[in-house]
Amino acid sequence: MIVPFAHVLIFAAILFVMGLGCVLARRNLIMILIGVEIMLNAAAVALVGGSAYWRQVDGQVFVVFLMAMTSAEVAISLAMVVYLRRRRGTLEADRFDGLRG
Amino acid sequence: MTLLDLLALAPVLVLVLGASTLLMVGAWYHEPRPLVAGGVAVALIAAVIAGVAPPAPTEIAGLFSSAPFARYFAVLWSLLAALILMLSLRYATERDFAAGEYVSLILFSAAGMALLSGATSLVGLFLSLESFTLALYILVSFHRNNHQGAEAGLKYLVLGAVATGFMAFGIALIYAASGTFHLPDALQGLQAGEHLRPWGLLGWGLVLVAVGFKISLVPFHLWTPDVYQGAPAPVTALLATGSKGAVGAALVMVLAGSPGTWQELVPLLWMLALLTMLVGSLCALPQENLKRLLAYSSVVHMGYLLTALLPGSPEGYSAVVFYLTVYTFASLGAFAVITSLSDASGEPQELTAWRGLGYRYPVRGAVLSACLLSLAGMPLTGGFIGKFVLFAAAIKGGFTGLAVVAILASLISFAYYLRVVLVLYGSDESRELHPGNALEHAVLLVCVTAILLLGLYPAPLLELIATLIP
Repeated sequence: MIVPFAHVLIFAAILFVMGLGCVLARRNLIMILIGVEIMLNAAAVALVGGSAYWRQVDGQVFVVFLMAMTSAEVAISLAMVVYLRRRRGTLEADRFDGLRG
Repeated sequence: MTLLDLLALAPVLVLVLGASTLLMVGAWYHEPRPLVAGGVAVALIAAVIAGVAPPAPTEIAGLFSSAPFARYFAVLWSLLAALILMLSLRYATERDFAAGEYVSLILFSAAGMALLSGATSLVGLFLSLESFTLALYILVSFHRNNHQGAEAGLKYLVLGAVATGFMAFGIALIYAASGTFHLPDALQGLQAGEHLRPWGLLGWGLVLVAVGFKISLVPFHLWTPDVYQGAPAPVTALLATGSKGAVGAALVMVLAGSPGTWQELVPLLWMLALLTMLVGSLCALPQENLKRLLAYSSVVHMGYLLTALLPGSPEGYSAVVFYLTVYTFASLGAFAVITSLSDASGEPQELTAWRGLGYRYPVRGAVLSACLLSLAGMPLTGGFIGKFVLFAAAIKGGFTGLAVVAILASLISFAYYLRVVLVLYGSDESRELHPGNALEHAVLLVCVTAILLLGLYPAPLLELIATLIP
């Protein structure tokens, strides 16, 4: 491997933290979902790096599973986005505060 | 994948193929009654196959176990799916749920739970966890004309997606540090690779955060009351029992499969258990909404489970499995009462609506009281035996302090459960609610029988469970 393994992991960790920051800081539902996608892609980077380091295909196979799972999740979340937008006319997460107690 | 592997997977295959078939049929045929009956039949067939078919290979494709432990939970979750479908028939019809989709989603989530309870690899763990979480995202907001359902769906989706991110990244780091997804090896691999060890531990920490979200440990529990309140009552029952129980079973699989390798995590789990029991109990006390109260009570129950997992002893694991079984029936019974009292205008959630209901609807008042007393741990109910074995295992394993906190938390829990019982049998100001139908009463009967049977005669199940622990 040309790139040192630690660099791959540090890059993935930075990507993960950026995604988490996006989830926590942004209030628009679509931006939150993009943040989650970035977190999942950080996982994919670490998996591919690990796969190269250990000279196995397992990690890469898992990345393919992860992609399939992510697309299912995106399909559901976007359906949810459309539904919430129609129902409440907004995608700002802070406006959904009816449940309390 | 050989024929034997497919045979070993048969219960899950029945669930998944049955769910797909009903989904296709539901596209053209909209009558709820036959579709729900079909779903119940599929779930019962899966339960019977899981119960009687001999599991030839004990591991399928290095991903899932088909050992008796996994089979036990496959039976439990299939039965749960059947009971929830029976419970949902009137509820779903009154709210115009698309029957095909609803039935198939419940069956899909039962299949995911059955797989998760036997996951032997991090890949299997992740995929099965996601497969039922994705189904639950849809189910939580299935009632499209309900404001609360939309909000609950949003909250569950966002927090669930973040938990998925944590889980995926944690698994990636564990793989990077140990070079394998297979569970006992992934934990043992951490001991070998010295310089990668911190990454591996960080990975386990992240997986623990994701698990914390799923079984709502404090401080990751904030979604629980909102989602429980907003989701349709039968779906809340599935969320409270199956989705938490399956993750609990997966924890038992992981921890029991690799003894002595997770000592570093013990202080962290200890703190989580303590916080979960204390905060959950204190938040449950002032609740005026029955669904929110049950949400906080489920938080506290997950704290009890962690307490018994900590010693890492076979007694602790079998106590957890027994407790999960009792908890499933008690919790399902409580939500079944809420469902059977709901009509097209909504669910009676506020305690003020329940005042004196024990006189007007004696059967359901008694069942709800039995379920709540079992959750509290009253002697003669299954909950008492469950708590007894849990706390005994914790004390025997040297976690006396935590066991004392757990006992205190159960004493506090009597306060909030008994408050509901007192409301039920207080002054009679009850109003007319739905009388319920035969199917719903059958579910209530099953739950209350299970609670009392496990309370009066628990020995056979305890002996069975002791032989299951991997």
